[in-house]
Amino acid sequence: MVKNRLLAAGAVLAMVVMACSSSATPSPAPASAAPATQAPASQAPASMAPATVAPATVAPSATAAAGTPKDGGTLVVALPGDMVLADPTLTSDSNSSYVQQNVIQSLVGLKPGTLDTVIPVLAESLPTVSADGLTYTFKIRQGVTFHDGTPLDAAAVVYNYQRQKDMPKSLQDAYNYYFGVVFGGFGDKSNLKSITAPDASTVVMTLGTPQSTFLLTQILPQFGIQSPTALKAGDSSNPDPSKSPYAQGQGGLGKSMVGTGPFMFKEWVPNDHVTIVKNPTYFDPAGMAHLDAITYRPMSDTTARLNALQAGDVDFTQQIAPNDVATAQADSTLQVYDRGSSCNILNLGLNHSVKPFDNLQLRQAIAYALNRQSYVDAFYSGQAIMADNWMPPGFFSYKALGLPTFDLAKAKSLVAASGVPADQLNLTLWYPSNVTRPYMPDPKGEAEAVARDLEAAGFKITFKTEPWATYIPDFQSGKLPMFLSGWTCDWAAPDNFLIAWAFGFQGGKPNAQFNYGPPELKTAFDTAMAASTDAAAATAWGQAQDILAKDLPTVPLVSSKNAAAAKADVMGFVPAGNLTELMNTVWLNR
Amino acid sequence: MTKYIIRRLLAAIPVLFGLSIILFAFIHLLPGDPAVALLGQHATPELTAEIRAQLGLDQPLWQQYLAYLGQLLHGDLGKSIITNRPIIDEFLLRFPGTVELTVGALIFAVGLGIPLGRYAARHVQGFGDGMVTVISLLGISIPIFVLGLTLQYIFAVQLKWLPASGRLDPRIAIEYHTNFVLIDTLLDGNIPAFFNGLSHLILPAIALGSIPLAIITRITRASVLDVTNEDYVRTARAKGLSERRVGGRHIMRNAWLPVVTVIGLQVGGLLAGAVITETIFSWNGVGRWTVQAIQDHDYFVVQSIILIFALIFLVVNLVVDIGYAFINPRIRYA
Amino acid sequence: MATVAAPRARRAEARASRGLWRDAFNRLMRNGPALVGLFFITVFFAAAIFAPFIAPYDPIAGSLADRLQLPSAAHIMGTDLQGRDEFSRILYGARVSLFVAVGSVIMALIMGGIAGATAGAVGGKVDNVVMRIVDVMLAIPGILLAIGIVAWLGQGLPQIMIAVAATNAPIFARILRGSLLANREVDYVSAARSLGASRSRMLFRHMLPNSLTALIVAATLALATAIIDVAGLGFLGLGPADPRTPEWGTMLTDATRFIRQAPYLIFFPGLAIVVAAIGFNLLGDGLRESLDPRMKR
Repeated sequence: MVKNRLLAAGAVLAMVVMACSSSATPSPAPASAAPATQAPASQAPASMAPATVAPATVAPSATAAAGTPKDGGTLVVALPGDMVLADPTLTSDSNSSYVQQNVIQSLVGLKPGTLDTVIPVLAESLPTVSADGLTYTFKIRQGVTFHDGTPLDAAAVVYNYQRQKDMPKSLQDAYNYYFGVVFGGFGDKSNLKSITAPDASTVVMTLGTPQSTFLLTQILPQFGIQSPTALKAGDSSNPDPSKSPYAQGQGGLGKSMVGTGPFMFKEWVPNDHVTIVKNPTYFDPAGMAHLDAITYRPMSDTTARLNALQAGDVDFTQQIAPNDVATAQADSTLQVYDRGSSCNILNLGLNHSVKPFDNLQLRQAIAYALNRQSYVDAFYSGQAIMADNWMPPGFFSYKALGLPTFDLAKAKSLVAASGVPADQLNLTLWYPSNVTRPYMPDPKGEAEAVARDLEAAGFKITFKTEPWATYIPDFQSGKLPMFLSGWTCDWAAPDNFLIAWAFGFQGGKPNAQFNYGPPELKTAFDTAMAASTDAAAATAWGQAQDILAKDLPTVPLVSSKNAAAAKADVMGFVPAGNLTELMNTVWLNR
Repeated sequence: MTKYIIRRLLAAIPVLFGLSIILFAFIHLLPGDPAVALLGQHATPELTAEIRAQLGLDQPLWQQYLAYLGQLLHGDLGKSIITNRPIIDEFLLRFPGTVELTVGALIFAVGLGIPLGRYAARHVQGFGDGMVTVISLLGISIPIFVLGLTLQYIFAVQLKWLPASGRLDPRIAIEYHTNFVLIDTLLDGNIPAFFNGLSHLILPAIALGSIPLAIITRITRASVLDVTNEDYVRTARAKGLSERRVGGRHIMRNAWLPVVTVIGLQVGGLLAGAVITETIFSWNGVGRWTVQAIQDHDYFVVQSIILIFALIFLVVNLVVDIGYAFINPRIRYA
Repeated sequence: MATVAAPRARRAEARASRGLWRDAFNRLMRNGPALVGLFFITVFFAAAIFAPFIAPYDPIAGSLADRLQLPSAAHIMGTDLQGRDEFSRILYGARVSLFVAVGSVIMALIMGGIAGATAGAVGGKVDNVVMRIVDVMLAIPGILLAIGIVAWLGQGLPQIMIAVAATNAPIFARILRGSLLANREVDYVSAARSLGASRSRMLFRHMLPNSLTALIVAATLALATAIIDVAGLGFLGLGPADPRTPEWGTMLTDATRFIRQAPYLIFFPGLAIVVAAIGFNLLGDGLRESLDPRMKR
């Protein structure tokens, strides 16, 4: 279903491409790879030379206004944290991906500036899919070389996927997170049954059961194709990544992070900086980088990031705290990027296996007690919206559910009507101690605000906190009764939020974090995932959302916009709500 | 002399031994399982059991302790939960930052404290003396985090005279040889980068140096006053030596001893202060790492930092004491 | 005690010591800086005790709609990130600070006192063992020791109290032991010993009272560092378990991200901490000079 939708989108894109082939806008890396024609379900994709053009929908006004891009210069980027490891298959955090995605490319990618429009990158075209939805055939782009000079071919792609499938046990899940999530496991347990190369330019992937969002998941940097030669030489699959020179980014260019992208890895000094440099032999002249180099600096302190930006110490900051947005907007030497549609949710998690959260009226009382608009105003400086669903607006099949909004009187009367004994109104509220997230810029402050609203409605709150690294497994395993958590999209489809994050079933049982899942919800999910048409999928997703609205299992609070900021002379940047932002279009007007 | 040094070294052994027991207990008395802590969000029962076996957590406690001691003697401090890199490597990467900051703070404290103390002693009970007393009172009463935030707000955020954070402008790329910014820039003859590094050092060094400044000022004042009243100084004066010569040659030479001792004692305080200073100024050193490790519950790192800081404190004081004994042989028998 | 002469001797002794205390008190009352310190401390205690009467608002309540208001007639120190009245929070914060700092110093006096008295009075092996433990604790830089203990015990006011106490206890132990050893050789103690006074009698009747002055001075000065250390733990995110608790260090650290919009949220808690610390430092110095006239120059 979503597959169909995506392929249809691809076809539309192809037409747009043809219509605007004279566009002067700089071409984002993968865009030029879009073939001029697209035959989604056909067996014989047209083999045409890639047209070096960009889709018309991506026309950042700044770029257009400022005229011809200038080449050269170094862009200094402030990231909220350091890269964790140099090998994307061993990382699952956005800081690592934000660097890696410019160096290492996947078979497919997203159209710049969009959340769910898939375009071919290292594949020549979008794959052909068998009628049963189980076999995907990719044609691999010819004439592409890795940064170490070795050629990209089907065998290299197969090596990369096979390597992930056969990851040593100690690297599974703990390091290699997404392969397991997307394919349901490693080795024989994996839903990726086989990956073969019938010839040097063809890769065939076979799934065990249909995965309607398969293609959309393959845009993740974790499915990037790296040089097999370098992976082997750098001992990349060492069960202990601290002993792998490849994962540690040692040796510089051609030794670590060896991909095919418009930028090449230069060096990584942990906790200090990562530097990538222009790839002068990038396969797509139109996607050639303008910048000579990019240096990424970890800066965890939000105030320090804005200070550094204002002082000109950095040119670009990937995230700016909501309370600093107004300051940055008022500064004429800076520009603020609105990432537009948000791709995240902040949620007040309620565990139904703990009393009184099994009580519908009490959950409704909690929802009515929370003045969510005041959170949007106070903690996000307006850079957010009240959530009205368990996924952000704009997603396929999204429905405005009309969830409860602040009404203290109603909250109080629902508490009374719920019949919950007074001692069960003493609740423990958990929040993470050592992080901020785009959807949760001030966990402690937000917990205080939630607590105050709940106490006004007659609850009594005790606070508990722990660091993120233990917080996540604790709520996932159902240890926390009421907790603040959220989700940033991996891929922009309903299943990523409704199933992967919140209410998926494991072995027929509901997700332990909320312990909520009536059988009819499971039926709706299964129907949606197996649906063969968009309309059928939308109907099933709609049913699932209606069930959630009726049961109100948790309280979604807000979806935030995650703003970025840069010096005013940074040009050509294309923001995206899920941070799949490529820097090859960026240039400095100085 | 040798005997004295040996005695002092031997006396340090039980302290180190006690320290290792306390730190071992610290990890093992912490709530929760170190294996789970190590695995963090990826803990599964299988993996946990595996890691427990790997770490030897299934062994009796005394065996675990011996293993820990053995590791320590090999310079193996274990791994960070967060980065999964050897703690000793991470420490060595960050330690130069802390040394640079601490030395900067000491230079500030000594360079200003001694003249202030001498000035106050020369003008006892006068207005200048009063001012110096007030300064040193403020020095010990204003916490580093209050002073640091204030300096940062005034000189970096408002006046923009000095950088607010970091060790070097991110734009400046330098080659790291020793990880001391000021040394590496000089080695490469990169003078602008050197001054840039220096400008980053000023505010944190002042914030961190404020307490030692207060103490050194007080001690200098007191010890100069002590010496001034000694017979030989009076004699020197009586001989008609200029006030300047008396001050330089006779007073300071003898007033140095207590001042040096106090400086040695400040090292512990400076290392502790670096924890807070580095956090305020986003200074990439061991102190900021400590706070991050605490926040991440990366207790193996916390344990190791405490151990190393205590070691440094002991070594510095040993050196100071031995140096003192060299200069003043009477101390050896005291 | 059993002898007839004892009561009279004791009275004489008591009178002498009362005289010593009265002299010290008189000297203190003439010590300008110490009086300033005393004044600060009085203000500080008054704020803590009378907070419920002085504070114009509830320190916990407030509304997000009122957040980050500049100081005004309604809120003389402005409002914080949650829209709470900063002045009320500063007043209640004095309560928290005072409670934890005084509690920790008392706890340290008990722990350090027992350890130091045992080491000084018993001597020998016991002395050696106790003092090595003290050495170990003193080798760990203060705030790091406190950090480690809070990490171990978990967040909360009692835990903070214990942590700060642990940084002071070895100092007190060392002071008491040193002073006991020094007193041991003093004439009147030797005299009492030669008269056959028991060991515990010697300790409690002769040696401890004379060591007390050093401890009083150290404890007063320790209150200043305790207040700073408690705030320091809060600043590092190791404050009270309930994040709403008005604790100065926690208030400071919460405000740092808003240093541009609301510098007053840094200024007022910072000022409160500094004033309290100055108060105890001035009083401590004054006490030292009054209790030991030789110190005065």
